[in-house]
Order: sequence, then structure tokens, then C-alpha cells
Amino acid sequence: MSDAGRVLRQALALGALSLVLAAAVHLPLIKSFARGEFRESFFRAADYPGVRLITLEETEDLWASGAAVVLDARAAGLFGEGRVPGARNVPSAGREEALPEEVLALPKDGTLVVYCEGGDCQSSLALARRLHDEGFRDIRVFGGGWADWTKAGLPSEKDDGPE
Amino acid sequence: MVRNKTVLLVFRLVLGGLFVYAGAVKVGDPLDFAQDIRNYRLVGQSLSFIAAIVLPWLEILAGSFLIAGLWRQGAALVITGLLVFFIVLTLVTMARGLDVDCGCFGSLSRKSGWSVIIEDLAMLYLGLCLLFATGGRSDLAKRVLSAKSQRAE
Repeated sequence: MSDAGRVLRQALALGALSLVLAAAVHLPLIKSFARGEFRESFFRAADYPGVRLITLEETEDLWASGAAVVLDARAAGLFGEGRVPGARNVPSAGREEALPEEVLALPKDGTLVVYCEGGDCQSSLALARRLHDEGFRDIRVFGGGWADWTKAGLPSEKDDGPE
Repeated sequence: MVRNKTVLLVFRLVLGGLFVYAGAVKVGDPLDFAQDIRNYRLVGQSLSFIAAIVLPWLEILAGSFLIAGLWRQGAALVITGLLVFFIVLTLVTMARGLDVDCGCFGSLSRKSGWSVIIEDLAMLYLGLCLLFATGGRSDLAKRVLSAKSQRAE
């Protein structure tokens, strides 16, 4: 069984080497993390200058004034059951699938608001990154998402019509 | 298990190459990979961040060592361990009904699903062949079996 022990030690040594390399190469990033960055999301403002998180109130203002196009990143089924009135569904933020043509055709300097379920959901952030990569430069991520919108008693609509 | 040395060499190059590639495409953008890990909704921000900066290096090192023929079985153990973890993770993700990118190959990733599991199983087979049938001094299976037979005597 000493051979098994040797193999295990090799594997552990590879793990330790990986830790050392990761710490050496990503030291600036680790320092940023230690300072408290990336605790809410893994966005780095410098990488995504056009993306920012917004509150429920800001979202409501943008929606009510019609100043932004609202995009719902949830699955199509959930979108059909209830959504922010006028929102468009962009359910897949998968990298292998292109964004819908009607979304890509929107003005690149226009304001977009993206949301998902709320709470722990991540698809609105993923969608925001993809939109940024497509050239959109004013993307607001509503972190509270559908959960906060409905909790606040704001209007909604579903496939059959307004609720 | 495969014992032909030439076939095992091909397995080492293929599996090692795939892991070096998988690590290399992720190491340049750890935040993007951290987001992929976070999307699985299994661990929080901190663990996602730590995994995202360490895991690509583990893949690169294990793959490189496998190709170079250094610590072959240790590297094979790391790779098979990772593959078992990836398979379980994908199954759990599918069972929870989450629609996420697998995060396997950076920006070339696709949705977690059966195709990812089949690929991982194929790689797991190569990894197990290398772990248990590398031959010569490092033939783990032979050593374990002989230790068992000695105990039986």
C-alpha cells in the first residue's frame, strides 16, 4: 500500500503547487478580494464600465418613464407566468447561443435593465456581461429581480394579459 | 484495463492535453470562471473565487505532469478525482433543474447536460486506465493486488 501512499502524496503535492502558482499569479486579484471587492458579484468595474447594479426604486423609475428596455433573463416558463410589463424574455445566457436578433438590433447607446428571479440568481449578471460584449454600454442590473418586484406590489403581466 | 504502452502514451497525451487546454482557457479570466462556479449555486462568493483561481492551475499542472510522464499516477489521480467531481456536479445541477454553462472550457463552454457527462465519462476511462495500468514500477493495481495477496498468505 506504500505505492498508494506515494500516489496520494504526489496528488497532494500537485494541489499544493497549484495553490502556490495561483497565489503568485493572481496576487493583485487576491488583494482586491481581501479588500472586499467581488463580494456581491464578480464584475470588475474596469472590465465592464457600462454595467452597474440598481435598486428597486431606480428600476421602477426607468420602467415607468419608459427610458429603458427591460430584459427578463429567467426561463421562458417563468416569464410566461408573470413578468415586468413590457419586458422581453432573453432566457438563455449560454455562451454557445447567440442573443436574439431583436435584442441585438436595439440601439447600443440605449439603456437596458436586466433582471432574473432575485435572491441568489445569477443569470441577469451573465446576460449583462454578454450584452456588454455585444457593444451595449448602459446596462443596469436589477439585483432584487422578480422577487423584489412582486414583493413591492408593482404591476406585472403574464401571457394571458395583465394580472 | 489497457496495458499497451503506446495506447497508454496516447491516453496521456490526449487527457493531459485536454486538461492543460481546459486550465489555460480559464486561467486568463478567473472572474469569469468564478461567475461560472457561482452560477451552480452550490458555494458562496468566497469559495467560488478561491476555486476559480486554483482549479485552472491544478488542471494545467496535472495535465502537464501527465504529458511529461512525471508523477504520472499522482496526476492521473488528480484528474480522475476532478472528473468524478465534475460528473456528480453536473448530475446534481441537472436534478435541480438549473440552466447553467458547464464552465469546462472557458468561453467555449456549453450547457451542463448529458453530453458533458458522456465526455467526462470518456475522459474518466482514460484517467482510470492511466491510474491503474501505467506498468513497471508505478503499476498501482499490481502493487495493491500483490499487497492483498501477501496479506492473504
